[in-house]
Amino acid sequence: MPTINISLKDLNNLVGKKISEKDLPDLLAYAKAELSGIEGDDVSVQFNDTNLPYLWCVEGLAILFKGVLGKEKGIPDIKIEKGDYKIIADRSVRSVRPFISAFVAKGGKIDEFFLKQVIQLQEKFCENFGRRREKVAIGVYPSRKISFPVYYKAVPPKSVRFVPLEFTKEMTLAEILEEHPKGKEFAWILENTKKYPLLSDSNKEILSFPPIINSHTMGKLDLEDNELFFEATGTDAEGVNLAANIFAHVLSMRGFSIHSVKISYVGKNVITPDICVEKHKLDTDKVSSLLGIELKDSEIKKLLEMARFNFKSGNVEIPCFRNDIMHSVDVIEDIGIMYGFGNVEPLPLTAYTIGGTFDLQKKVDKLRDIAVGLEYQEILSPILTSREVLVERMNLKRALDLVEIDNPMSAGFSVLRSWLLPGLMDVLMHNKHVDFPQKIFEQGLVSVRRNDTITDEERIAGISSHVGVSFTKARQAVDAILKACDVVAVYQDMEHSSFISGRVAQVVINDKPVGFVGEIHPAVLTSWGLDMPAAGFELNLSELFKIIK
Amino acid sequence: MTDIKKLINTLHPLERKVLPVLNSYKTLPEIVSATGLKEVEVMRALQWLENKKIVKISTELKEVVSLDKNGQKYAKNGLPERLFVNALKKRELSISRLEKLTKLSKDELNSCLGILRKKAMVLIIKNKELKVKLTDEGLKRVKKDFLEEKFLKKSFPLDIKSLEPEEQLALQNLKKRKNIVRIEMQKLKHVKLLSKGKDILAQGLGDDKIVDVLKPELLRSGEWRNKNFRRYDVSINVPKVWPGKKQTYRLFLDDVRRKFQALGFVEMAGPLVESEFWNMDALYMPQFHSARDIHDALYVKEPKRAKLDEALVKRVKASHENGFNTDSRGWNYEFDVARTHRLVLRSQGTACSARMLASDNLSIPGKYFAIARCFRKDVVDATHNADFYQVEGIVVEENLNLRHLFGLLKTFAKEFAGAEEIKLVPGYFPFTEPSVELFAKHPEMGWIELGGAGIFRPELVRPLTGKKLSVIAWGIGIDRIAMFKLGINDIRHLFSHDLEFLRNQKVVSCRQ
Repeated sequence: MPTINISLKDLNNLVGKKISEKDLPDLLAYAKAELSGIEGDDVSVQFNDTNLPYLWCVEGLAILFKGVLGKEKGIPDIKIEKGDYKIIADRSVRSVRPFISAFVAKGGKIDEFFLKQVIQLQEKFCENFGRRREKVAIGVYPSRKISFPVYYKAVPPKSVRFVPLEFTKEMTLAEILEEHPKGKEFAWILENTKKYPLLSDSNKEILSFPPIINSHTMGKLDLEDNELFFEATGTDAEGVNLAANIFAHVLSMRGFSIHSVKISYVGKNVITPDICVEKHKLDTDKVSSLLGIELKDSEIKKLLEMARFNFKSGNVEIPCFRNDIMHSVDVIEDIGIMYGFGNVEPLPLTAYTIGGTFDLQKKVDKLRDIAVGLEYQEILSPILTSREVLVERMNLKRALDLVEIDNPMSAGFSVLRSWLLPGLMDVLMHNKHVDFPQKIFEQGLVSVRRNDTITDEERIAGISSHVGVSFTKARQAVDAILKACDVVAVYQDMEHSSFISGRVAQVVINDKPVGFVGEIHPAVLTSWGLDMPAAGFELNLSELFKIIK
Repeated sequence: MTDIKKLINTLHPLERKVLPVLNSYKTLPEIVSATGLKEVEVMRALQWLENKKIVKISTELKEVVSLDKNGQKYAKNGLPERLFVNALKKRELSISRLEKLTKLSKDELNSCLGILRKKAMVLIIKNKELKVKLTDEGLKRVKKDFLEEKFLKKSFPLDIKSLEPEEQLALQNLKKRKNIVRIEMQKLKHVKLLSKGKDILAQGLGDDKIVDVLKPELLRSGEWRNKNFRRYDVSINVPKVWPGKKQTYRLFLDDVRRKFQALGFVEMAGPLVESEFWNMDALYMPQFHSARDIHDALYVKEPKRAKLDEALVKRVKASHENGFNTDSRGWNYEFDVARTHRLVLRSQGTACSARMLASDNLSIPGKYFAIARCFRKDVVDATHNADFYQVEGIVVEENLNLRHLFGLLKTFAKEFAGAEEIKLVPGYFPFTEPSVELFAKHPEMGWIELGGAGIFRPELVRPLTGKKLSVIAWGIGIDRIAMFKLGINDIRHLFSHDLEFLRNQKVVSCRQ
């Protein structure tokens, strides 16, 4: 979620009203944002909505706040002057990075504060909305150095050389991806293409290698510049247009005049920024049915204008810096927000429903009670664990039934547990100096893979550890649990390398195995660093209840 | 009953054995031998008697002498010089002959000679060969025990202060010899009967009437009517036992489960390993959403592909691409059908809600909740767990609106945080519109973020249910309240393996 830093004084100037520190949280709520820090004039804001990038700058917040505070209403005015600039987009970019938008901004004042703000919006936009520059990447240049038309094409990686920003030597595009920090960071975007995008002017001067890096000579802004060339390239036409529209508004609010650029694609010409408003038909009945409040059309209009929409003859007009409206519900939410959630009277639910839980949950809870009655302390362990815990430390040779994570955070959290006893062994290991006897149990889910099927099983397992533990005592516990389920098991000799041979039994009900019980093998105890004997059991309750049925 | 009688009834069998001998014996070794009990038993009994102010135990530091290795041997077999004179008798014998007869070592023989000569008991005759014979003095003295022999016959350890001058002399002599005596500082316990003790002994212990353990025979015979039961000291500590107990966090979740059922909610469940379809796509989360990349979700190695209802997949695909039949323009991108089949560890409990909406068992109206185990690729620390429970659910009706949602959230705030005051702030979730975040004023914790909620988007509901339904969806951040109630400040302790912590966790506390 994007976080930005703004100046409160700057915000006040743009809004034209003094906003105090105290008012900020409530105002930011309209932007689905929170105040995450304030230090003097420096305010840090965090946004929850990732689909409204126009708000990720002080100018965007000012647009919204002016609506909320009644300083302005409806879609903000912006004037785009017809410019005499052209970008020629070559056929070669189609399969690489097909879309570009651009404009030229003139006559504003560029200072350090301004530069910082522009770079912040550029970064937040490209990182979050632009999906780390893949979908949209933005470049800004001093336009006095550029001779139009500008050419946008895709070229072989080693065919051109230029000096990238913050470097002093000429490099090929391939070298930039390998050596430049930005190249390394964003090389993944161009992983599957043979040619790389390039912007150059009519003097064959290279402007930039989008979406990676600008040229040091052509793409570095200085404080004396007062004319900017803006471009956004990407894989999504709407995305690059949105970038141009938002930046055009930002720069216009900072006193620049905005001049359009003609983009000449093969077979069609486009003028950007394209500030046409989109219209959305709104059925006003839906407003009351979703919000539960009755609003007259005039009230709806007023609220929409606060949110910087226009509302004309049943149509909502959407400003060109928003493209988050998919459905009427998106517009209606904005009406609700402007109405104020605090002004919406809560209404109790009236439908009569009977609460309950599912059968398995009821049953396992009853067996937890039996285990507690047998003086076992209940344990809750993580489900994410490691092969070492489940297999190696339990003296097992191999396990084919594990659900493994493809992208684990660490080896310690790389598989789902396939049985419960290893978690209980971990408890014993951590409590060697705690009073004995130690009797512990866990009831919970394990996940077992059999070929192409993964099954969750509810299980219960218990361990007791003290001098004189025995198979008999562990079996008594199993007997007691099964007795509570009104079944009697047959205990069959089995081999299980976690247990002492000849002291482990398979628990069988109606010829089906449902678990095992036995004395823990000394090799297992040793691998957990234990010097106290232990005996334990584990039952598959999902299977058990299936059989009982 | 007089106080003394009451006191007599409290006496333990050990105390009853020790008390009567205290008239005659005062020191611990004496008492041990008089009672025939083990020393620890006597000590325990004396300790109890002292606690009851029946006796007073005092400890004295004493220099005591006890027998060393050779001393013990000589006490049993006789001193070497005694063996020497016994072998010699009235004869004149060579040293080598004596060596054979006594089986003493050279050293011992030499020291015997020295001792006996000093006492003028033997005479050494130098001839071809060295020979020894008893003097007249010697012949006289062998008839009586030597001082040292008398000394060895005493019972050890011995208080040095209590020795007679002759014994002092014997001790001095023995000290010079190898490993016969050992002198140590020792604590000697003295026991003194106090007046209560004397009164008890004067009254008599009434052993025949006292009963320690009530046995079945006593009940059957009715003999218990003639007995006094030994009174216990009920105020003393007893050894600890640990009960079987439910885990503290699960106990909390059990309460949450009961609470939802009381509010008319039915519990839902779903698998731990989900398809991306149920975990995200069915929830109208676009496939490019940041929560879906490999840095946030945990993907499963094998199997590669989930089995899905392909007709349903088609409807959800359409919804993402163009809004399906909902008047929405959709997310407007190309939906990857292969990707929707990929398996992922459930990252949000809402997956259960998606399954319920698509299920034939969905009741309308209906209220549902899940306490779902979820997984995220998070660095585990005091505030983040990779493996955690999420509590969330839905309310389904024909006509629900924002006011119902707010009404429900107000109820939750009251029921789960004891909060009368709430704040509702616009929120953002890809699957709800409108979306809201719930803040509640907990009576002790102050304002807390309690959860997020909203009304499911039509692009989600229509493909899953085929109907125009209003579905309220909500999630409650239960862990912060759990941590507060359980008195822990590290989220990992919800799954603690610390047995002492678990054993000591309260099940009833003032923090309700």
